Amino acid sequence: MLFSVSLLIFVVLRLLPGDPVSISIGAGHRGIGAEELDQYRTESGLNRSYSVQYWLWITKILQGDFGVSYFSGENVLSMIGGNLMPTVELTFSALIVAVIFAFTLAIIGATWPRSFADRMVTAIASLGMAIPTFITAIILLLTFGIWFPILPTRGYVPFTEDPVENLRLIAMPTMTLAFAAMAPILRMLRSSLGEAATSPWTRTAEGKGLLWPKIVRKHIFPNALIPTLTVIGITFGRMLGGVVLIEFIFAWPGIGTLMIDAIFKRDYMILQAAILFAAFATIIVNFLVDIAYGIVDPRLSFKNK
Amino acid sequence: MTSLLNVKNLAVDIELGKSEPLHAVRDVSFTVNKGEKLGLVGESGSGKSLTALAIMRLLHRPFRISGSVSLDGQELYSLNNKEMARVRSGQLGIIYQDPTSSLNPVFTVGEQIIEAIQLSEKISKADARTRAIDLLAEVGVKDAKTRANNYPHQFSGGMRQRVMIAMAISTNPKLLIADEPTTALDVTTQARVMELLSRIVEQRGLAVILITHDLGVASQFCDRLSVMYGGKIVENGSIKDVISNPLHPYTKALINSVCTVDLDVTKPMIAIGGQPPVLSDLPTGCTFHPRCPSANTTTCVSVTPSLEMISANRTVACDLIKTESHLKGISIA
Amino acid sequence: MSTVKTGGTDLFRRVLKRPLGKISFTFISILFISAIFANFAAPSDPNELDTANIFSKPSLEHLFGADDLGRDVLSRVMHGGRISLTIALFASAIAMIIGVLWGFLAAQIGGWVDEVLMRTVDALLSIPIILLALILVAALGTNVAVLSIIIGTILSPATARLARSAVIGELQLDYSQAATVVGASRLRILFSEVLPNTAPVLMARAVICVADTIIIEASLSFVGLGINPPDASWGSLTRTGYEQLFNGYWLVLAPGLVILLAIWSFNTLSDQILEALDPRSGK
Repeated sequence: MLFSVSLLIFVVLRLLPGDPVSISIGAGHRGIGAEELDQYRTESGLNRSYSVQYWLWITKILQGDFGVSYFSGENVLSMIGGNLMPTVELTFSALIVAVIFAFTLAIIGATWPRSFADRMVTAIASLGMAIPTFITAIILLLTFGIWFPILPTRGYVPFTEDPVENLRLIAMPTMTLAFAAMAPILRMLRSSLGEAATSPWTRTAEGKGLLWPKIVRKHIFPNALIPTLTVIGITFGRMLGGVVLIEFIFAWPGIGTLMIDAIFKRDYMILQAAILFAAFATIIVNFLVDIAYGIVDPRLSFKNK
Repeated sequence: MTSLLNVKNLAVDIELGKSEPLHAVRDVSFTVNKGEKLGLVGESGSGKSLTALAIMRLLHRPFRISGSVSLDGQELYSLNNKEMARVRSGQLGIIYQDPTSSLNPVFTVGEQIIEAIQLSEKISKADARTRAIDLLAEVGVKDAKTRANNYPHQFSGGMRQRVMIAMAISTNPKLLIADEPTTALDVTTQARVMELLSRIVEQRGLAVILITHDLGVASQFCDRLSVMYGGKIVENGSIKDVISNPLHPYTKALINSVCTVDLDVTKPMIAIGGQPPVLSDLPTGCTFHPRCPSANTTTCVSVTPSLEMISANRTVACDLIKTESHLKGISIA
Repeated sequence: MSTVKTGGTDLFRRVLKRPLGKISFTFISILFISAIFANFAAPSDPNELDTANIFSKPSLEHLFGADDLGRDVLSRVMHGGRISLTIALFASAIAMIIGVLWGFLAAQIGGWVDEVLMRTVDALLSIPIILLALILVAALGTNVAVLSIIIGTILSPATARLARSAVIGELQLDYSQAATVVGASRLRILFSEVLPNTAPVLMARAVICVADTIIIEASLSFVGLGINPPDASWGSLTRTGYEQLFNGYWLVLAPGLVILLAIWSFNTLSDQILEALDPRSGK
């Protein structure tokens, strides 16, 4: 799977017009002669055939060498590493917030089906799925940045340096990302809860003397969790895309900002590596989801009978 | 014999929104005494399962219930949710037709029984677990200790039904409702499960309502029989009386249509002609009249017969029988 | 199959009967009409400068205010709709054409061709859409045509998957097998029988593609990698509004609201199409 993704990324990037060497070096406005350009090409292997280039790229990656930025000359891996923490912080806090809200709201909706609360829950889910992240960001910026200015609107401070400020700064980006991520999870969970609620064993539970709210939380929820896990995996993948926009809007120094810079500068080494990482992360998360399936659904962990 | 369950004028309607509600159960009344085994017999759609679920108050929107159900003198429909839940856990037990879908697939069998036990009394998890394992052994699950940690999908159909039985009796209920407990099982397993049920019920002196369409099963297990048709009870009596001397035309037809081992294979099987009544289009007067061989065109079509006492502990809802017995001036049974 | 044609218009009528169907369709019509007839319908010339009213709040003259050069925001948004909707329609068309061919081919040929095609779909879907869009834009530049192609291509794998499963579902149904028995060629079955039956689901997907394109184009333009000034699309207008957020928050209102309205309408229309297909509950 990873193999096919890397192949794909490589192909797509190589198909792009423009000689990366002259573009990036030209963008640096360094007066370089044709000879030096050729020398650089040879060094980077850009004058070899495509399959050789791909092979070189893959083998280097497997050795941990992601190459060097065309533009700045820095090691790509360390550049990514430097920007990794903020993105990880943002993505994970958003995911956690999204899951907590999605689960709580879905359970509330399922405990009082078809009530006003339940309809609000569905409406919130639809809203979250339809609003583009940058619009949510703008709304939050207006609310907490301009009209009731209680939160800072851009920047980053590591948690270790100043935890309070870190939390204040991460608040709006997290809310933005979490709102978008929460929606599909909420929708899936609420509909799974609704479906599972029609199963005969809920009647058995009620016949034993359990009350409906408890039945929803204890009996129905684990069953509804199963298909929801897949959605969580997919949502994580989409979050990696959304996080780019959000980092841009809130000046959050993460991989997203790195990528956007790289795009403007046509720095392909960074782009290649960044996308590879993103795809890699998505694949890992989906793999974890598969494992989680096996844990939550006892029918799957037993091969026999 | 003290009466344990008293059902009076029970009716279950299905609300359909704008149109007229469907009358699935109409004016059903019966009693079950302590330790007594009542059979509720009828074909699919006769309303017998709905009656059972109505007793346990497990019917919600769009079902609407009216009438009275009192258990041990307590009117169940006047209780609030919490109180009813307590009655369910402490005094009632129910086993369903399909044991596969009636057990939660993500919990072990042991956990589900323990949950039932802990709902009905204050008991430590460890003690509840021991009780659960003992119960599983009692219903015939071998290696109960290990098997208690297995999930429902790891059991066969018959075994799952035994688990349901264990769960239902784990709380020492006064009344056990068995809703077609053997319908989903093959014949051999059927016999074994009914045997188990008999034994357990005898040992504990439980009152039972056995719902089935299988007269054979009912005749072997029950003390008394109530026959249902089209949402109403048409005949009541002791099992011996009803089987040997059925009074209502429907009961007669049912008994005639049962296959026995010594049936003459050259003759065609006797079936009851016609179709079961459609709830949205119920016949006027006596619900059975379209299929009744002895129906007459005046009374049966217009007058809805009510249950009349023909003799001691024997009631029938049929105007023809009533007239006959009046004419003869004596009891028929 | 005379039922095919009536099936289409019948579905259309059923969607319009539903309240949400009516509302979403009305909004969409308004959006398209105001875009097509922007020259007539807009209150002012979108490029007309009104220097006396720079950053003016919403007023009778400028219903949604005026921007940093005094241009009427509402007019700009209406004209912007031309670009945004054009891109949306073209991209959806591309996504549907590529996706349907992709999926149909995979479903029909089966075997290792199916394997390869679907593995490619999986690989493409594991890359977050925005990232893919960003890279492609970086390399290929941005103008209406290129953007449409890029977005259309990005949305095609998901369409392919949907098309493929729809076809596989239909091929298993009796009528397909019956047609084969009668001797119809596979291609004929595909186009004259299966396609019409999958059409409604594909229609719903096409409508979603429109919504998705609007989101992607707006997001790209917002970051500066889509439509750039002086051209105006809803996304780039939102960006200008965002940049001037502290000068006048109402500048983001018009483009933002329009984007929301458009996305909501197309999403809802798609939902309504799917619900109208489902014969249950007599809704």
